[in-house]
Amino acid sequence: MKLIKDKVAKLSFVALLITVTAAMFYAPAASAHGEKSQAAFMRMRTIHWYDLNWSKDAVPVNDTMTVTGKFHVFAGWPETVAKPEVSFLNIGIPGPVFIRAGSWIGGQLVPRSVSLELGETYEFKVLLKARRPGDWHVHSMLNVQDGGPIIGPGKWVTITGSMSQFTNPITTLTGQTIDLEHWNIGNIYFWHAFWYAIGLAYIGYWVKSPVFVPRLIAMDAGKADSLISATDKKVGLGFAIATLLIVAATMQSTNEQYPITTPLQAGLLRGIKSIEMPARTVAVKVDSATYRVPGRAMQMTLTITNNGDSSVRLGEFMTASVRFLDPAVHEDDTGYPDDLLAEEGLTVSDNSPIAPGQTRTVDVTASDAAWEVYRLADLIYDPDSRFAGLLFFTDESGNRQMVTVDAPLIPSFI
Amino acid sequence: MAATTESVKADAAEAPLLNKRNLIFAVALYCVFYAWVRWYEGVYGWSAGMDSFAPEFETYWMNFLYIEFVLEVSTAGILWGYLWKTRDRKVMSITPREELRRHFTHWTWLVCYGVAIYFGASYFTEQDGTWHQTIVRDTDFTPSHVIEFYLSYPVYIITGGAAFLYAKTRLPTYQQGNSIQYMVATVGPFMILPNVGLNEWGHTFWFMEELFVAPLHYGFVFFGWSALGVLGVLNIEVAALAKLLKKDLA
Amino acid sequence: MSASQSAVRSRAEAVKVSRTFDWLICFTLFFVILGGYHVHFMLVAGDWDFWSDWKDRRLWVTVLPIMGITFPAAVQAVLWWRYRIAFGATLCVLGLLFGEWVNRYFNFWGWTYFPINFVFPSQLIPGAIVLDVVLLLSNSMQLTAVVGGLGFGLLFYPGNWPMMAPLHLPVEYNGMMMTLADLSGYHYVRTGMPEYIRMVEKGTLRTFGKDVAPVSAFFSGFVSIIVYFVWHFFGRWFGNTAFTKGS
Repeated sequence: MKLIKDKVAKLSFVALLITVTAAMFYAPAASAHGEKSQAAFMRMRTIHWYDLNWSKDAVPVNDTMTVTGKFHVFAGWPETVAKPEVSFLNIGIPGPVFIRAGSWIGGQLVPRSVSLELGETYEFKVLLKARRPGDWHVHSMLNVQDGGPIIGPGKWVTITGSMSQFTNPITTLTGQTIDLEHWNIGNIYFWHAFWYAIGLAYIGYWVKSPVFVPRLIAMDAGKADSLISATDKKVGLGFAIATLLIVAATMQSTNEQYPITTPLQAGLLRGIKSIEMPARTVAVKVDSATYRVPGRAMQMTLTITNNGDSSVRLGEFMTASVRFLDPAVHEDDTGYPDDLLAEEGLTVSDNSPIAPGQTRTVDVTASDAAWEVYRLADLIYDPDSRFAGLLFFTDESGNRQMVTVDAPLIPSFI
Repeated sequence: MAATTESVKADAAEAPLLNKRNLIFAVALYCVFYAWVRWYEGVYGWSAGMDSFAPEFETYWMNFLYIEFVLEVSTAGILWGYLWKTRDRKVMSITPREELRRHFTHWTWLVCYGVAIYFGASYFTEQDGTWHQTIVRDTDFTPSHVIEFYLSYPVYIITGGAAFLYAKTRLPTYQQGNSIQYMVATVGPFMILPNVGLNEWGHTFWFMEELFVAPLHYGFVFFGWSALGVLGVLNIEVAALAKLLKKDLA
Repeated sequence: MSASQSAVRSRAEAVKVSRTFDWLICFTLFFVILGGYHVHFMLVAGDWDFWSDWKDRRLWVTVLPIMGITFPAAVQAVLWWRYRIAFGATLCVLGLLFGEWVNRYFNFWGWTYFPINFVFPSQLIPGAIVLDVVLLLSNSMQLTAVVGGLGFGLLFYPGNWPMMAPLHLPVEYNGMMMTLADLSGYHYVRTGMPEYIRMVEKGTLRTFGKDVAPVSAFFSGFVSIIVYFVWHFFGRWFGNTAFTKGS
């Protein structure tokens, strides 16, 4: 009987170890990043990501890929979100499945927080090195202090291989080449184990004699002094002196081993270069805008004036990373995430070219299930019922021009 | 009949003072259960726990939440109800040996409370930092919160309540009233759960990012201090034990 | 209950019972105190303890001992003053470190895959041993607060430096200089913790030159003295055996 019990206990323990290990080395498909939870007005009126490119769909461990594109810092930034005066170019991935090998805004490396200007457009690039296998959703992302994470579009990328093969070699300014993935770990384990052992030994000295009941009896009998012997004091003193000596000696030897160390680096990076956008030649006035709840469609009446020297057509409306295209004007060939792309989602009442100098009023409808899926329709429940987005016009030579719109939105429930 | 009763009494008298099997089983129960929970988090946190609007989130996390709510309320009701219902109405007339045996059982409960508090306040609370500093939270019921706030905290509340009730209903030491520090040690950590309301209010309206030392979290800190009420329980218990053993230890 | 009856059958059994309670009590104290101490510590000092790129010369050195001396002071107030047990502070910090390590290993590494060299905890053991020994030798709360408290603050930085120094080696990365700890923070992406949340090095301590960590440690020791006093009295309050009026 006992044999069976032991066996069962043993097997249960093994099963437990296997399940915990299995969970640790599980290679999952991680779902999206919660961008849908953010208030729609916030997503529409803060950062607009466009011209995005994910360089690869699949990448082996240790290989790199980039996420590049532009983001426009919306001039009509909502009052309820702190301005991006202290912001950080992040990357929306489920933890360190990639390492961020580099990130740049306007060509400047941005490992620290930056200051951005409203109304400006910036070019960015994030270089990622694959670390943990699985299917991961990779989003562009900017964090704004006191505002929160502003998440851009996400695309699935598969990492293949094994995490145990991952290396992160770095050469320090003192000439050593180390693998940051494993550097110093043995040293950390050693010193923690060392001090823990000393702590346990110290407690062990005291608990080898009776601890609670007899001591309380002695205390209550007025024999407190008898509880600490001269040996106890000597042993305690020994521990304290040894502790001080060890701390001093290890500090000294560490400084000898690492004579050159530098403090952590911090501080806001200012003067980030924005893109010098060509002067806008198309002016747009929003006459009215409604969101028709049953139809999952936003309708805008726009008055468009072409002040340029080439005729233009409206090809795209983009808001909160969802792109509504008129396929007769613009088709996407960048591999933009399907769920965020309404390839035939834009209808313009008269989308013939608007000639230079011409002004035309048109009805524009942006319709797609994405309004619901991405919870943009919830805009009508937001405390600041305005919508915003980017309109892209295409001229005769195929050049695209971006124009922002920002106006009140009236919901229609019938 | 009388002879049988006498023999049962004799057997009971010979029962070990500390039921080690119960002690080990209870501690193992918490450990095995939480190892399973950790496995569940490891698998379904990544695959179904990052987008609260996805159907799989409802399946694996919201259903987990609903089930645990039901189980916790029933467990608390049954356990606390049982302890109260089976209270010893003649607690002041038990023998010293029986009292000693009950102190051992009481400490079995307190050991369980230690284990439950450890998992709730230490393991799963710091784990919350792990998760929220790694991902973007998009709901009050993140996988981390479903486990931390709504499982591990209720478990230690139920355990603490049971320990308190055991002492109150079966030990002469606790018949003179309610021990203030025992209440602090059990009700204080309980208050961490209602304090979740403050936490979620702040995170919903202002902080989607995670700074653990943010003042928003200080309610947890304040109520966490009340775990020190165990020092008062210690003093009461050791004094009671000293009274029982003094003569024989001399 | 008859006063003449004995709870145990022999002196040997009494000793055994007393000893068994020692273990039960030590186990319970270890874990309950660990729970309270850890939730306190992680929420008032945790960020500086979670990540190596928060362990700076200013707030890491200042904040951790100040927040760390709290529970040791309270526990000493009961274990020493009621039982003459001289390991209250050490018990607390070993508990805290146990709780931290289990989480760092199984969760920071095992669940979210940050390398241990980025997420290991700081250790408070040398300061705690000194705190316990000062109380043992002096039997004085005041001396323990002043000498032990100061020591607790002063010993923190050198006690952890052997683990931190290798992470402060400088590296040139794409035209910028940073430490290996900074680089870990940059490389190992924390989606929910952007860089600006870091509270490090943004002070004017550097006015007096490069050796600012001792200044921080000294200040930390000073505040630790005060915190020790306050928490000693907290501990005494928590140790009281009062009952509400019986029904």
